[in-house]
Amino acid sequence: MPEVSRRDFLKAAFLLPAMPSLLGACRRSDSRRVVNFYNWSNYIGKDTLPDFTKRTGVEVRYDLFADEDEMFAKIRAGARGYDLIVIGDFLIPRFKALNLIDPVPADTLKNQGNLAPRFRRAAYDPDETAVPYLWGTTGIAYNKKRLTKPPTSWWDLWDPRYKDRISMLDNVRDCVGVALQLLDIPQTTRDPEDFRKARELLIKQKPLVKQYSSSSYLNSLVAGEIDLAMTWSGDLFQAARDNPDLDYCLPREGTYMWVDCLALMRGSRHREDALRLIDYLLEPEVAANIANAVRYATPNEKATPLVDKALRKDPRVYPTPQVLSKLKLHDVLDPEQSELWNQTWADVKVA
Amino acid sequence: MGKALSWLLGGRRPLASHLLLAPAAGWLIVFLLVPAAGLALLSLAKNGAYGQVIWTFGLHNYRRAFDAKYLPVLLRTFAFAGGTTALCLLLGYPLAYYLSFRAGRWRNALLIGLMVPFWTSALVAFYSWMIILGKEGLLNAALLRFGFISAPIGILYTPFSVLLGLVYFYLPFTVLPLYASLEKVPRSVVEAAYDLGAGRWTAFLKVTLPLSLPGVMAGGLLTFVPCLGDFLTAELLGGPRFYLLGNLISNQFLMAQDWPFGAALTCLLLIGLIGGLWVYRRWEAEDA
Repeated sequence: MPEVSRRDFLKAAFLLPAMPSLLGACRRSDSRRVVNFYNWSNYIGKDTLPDFTKRTGVEVRYDLFADEDEMFAKIRAGARGYDLIVIGDFLIPRFKALNLIDPVPADTLKNQGNLAPRFRRAAYDPDETAVPYLWGTTGIAYNKKRLTKPPTSWWDLWDPRYKDRISMLDNVRDCVGVALQLLDIPQTTRDPEDFRKARELLIKQKPLVKQYSSSSYLNSLVAGEIDLAMTWSGDLFQAARDNPDLDYCLPREGTYMWVDCLALMRGSRHREDALRLIDYLLEPEVAANIANAVRYATPNEKATPLVDKALRKDPRVYPTPQVLSKLKLHDVLDPEQSELWNQTWADVKVA
Repeated sequence: MGKALSWLLGGRRPLASHLLLAPAAGWLIVFLLVPAAGLALLSLAKNGAYGQVIWTFGLHNYRRAFDAKYLPVLLRTFAFAGGTTALCLLLGYPLAYYLSFRAGRWRNALLIGLMVPFWTSALVAFYSWMIILGKEGLLNAALLRFGFISAPIGILYTPFSVLLGLVYFYLPFTVLPLYASLEKVPRSVVEAAYDLGAGRWTAFLKVTLPLSLPGVMAGGLLTFVPCLGDFLTAELLGGPRFYLLGNLISNQFLMAQDWPFGAALTCLLLIGLIGGLWVYRRWEAEDA
């Protein structure tokens, strides 16, 4: 339990004006070789970074974030001093537009070729500014023991039978994305009428929802406080270690997949070593160990055969080709569209 | 040394008193006035692409804030803040009274006991409450064990859990000013009331209570005002239906990436509070 709730802890820690780790990240120490790495919590193998330090002598100052909106807010607020950061595909165009990241120079990474072709030059990052790290899907987590029949559709999250037993991700991309999907509206719409419909759909669901949360809902699921939750695949599989009754469903309407990527922060003072760390994370054994620990899928083709067989053969983690063909990446939004999404979500929260 | 100190503290020497005031004044200027001015400026700016701030000034953010959709949030916030203040005063007054009049040699120990929860981070405290109030939590387990309920009930994420969290956290803010003002009630006056034939209740209602009213006001304000801006309690102990003004503001900064609007909401809250205090001061001054 403490492990999962760490995200919320960080969330609030971020809100305190002085965050010691951030001060730490800003501290100048040119004598020692370091990389300041900013990543999601529970998103790396236990020995990944110590092994890197052992091998290269480069110390990794590891800092965690709780929620990507808040991570983005923090970076935008001027948190500098990070060299390497993990950001979702959705955020890459935004980080580029705001000049927050530098492209990974072509041909500097000897392991980049390990990545599966479908993860290279993707729509969200045609010039390969960032390097895919892990990918996963957004789906429905549920408690097998407490539901008479397992969910199959996103609409199950709108079923009044489950009032007060549902949680939704506190995330604009997933919630507004699913609402638009259920309404058969393309993500790239700019029609205020479409967003009004999406907002109404989400507001209609609100009386059933116990929590909007991207992290603490996992505790609630494990503890039986809620029985159905919109979730990110690997987070649920991690939680299922604590409660084997938890299962994951990819809704039959199809769902979204997302790719978290490693990106170089602009102004990094440890670029060489940051690149070296990226290259290390792309090594097949390293990537496979991370995938085993966090239970998300690796985009690393060479690493996939090294992943635990149970995980590798699990269609919930590595969907069958048939399901895979139904998985979509989120569309790349321009600022005006992003603003419409954000407003829609903000209005749902206020309603 | 003593001489120098008394010279410094003499107060009639302007240089010395200025020197002594300088750190506090500097602190207030750097950490209060400058940020507040920045906030006011930001509230007039525009929100641009991907949440970049565009420095063209206007009142559009304030116009947006007066949308009817925010009214329920405002009313809910006032209801929770008011309810918390009332509960804190009801619970806090007897406590402060006991501390001041009855605690005797236990007083210091009890005062420390009152402060201890305060030394824990609010976050840790609220997580503990989540563990206590959850469906599989201690409270439900106890109620089940003693047969008060037959199935776990949802206590967490209800108005009750939010109110509980707020009262828990703000009670010391209420009690300490109450205690301080009860301490200042001259015991001789209370004794005089007894001598003049007042019973316990009469003496309390006619002497002690009126004399402690400044403490009631101070304690009430110290509870009510921070409650209006609280967001952590609602975020952790409240469900989606208990979205307060503090959550609305923090979401503008963290989620919606609309800092100018968040700044405008903050400024409105500040203006409302300062206005309210000013009216109260005027009313108090006229009363006196």
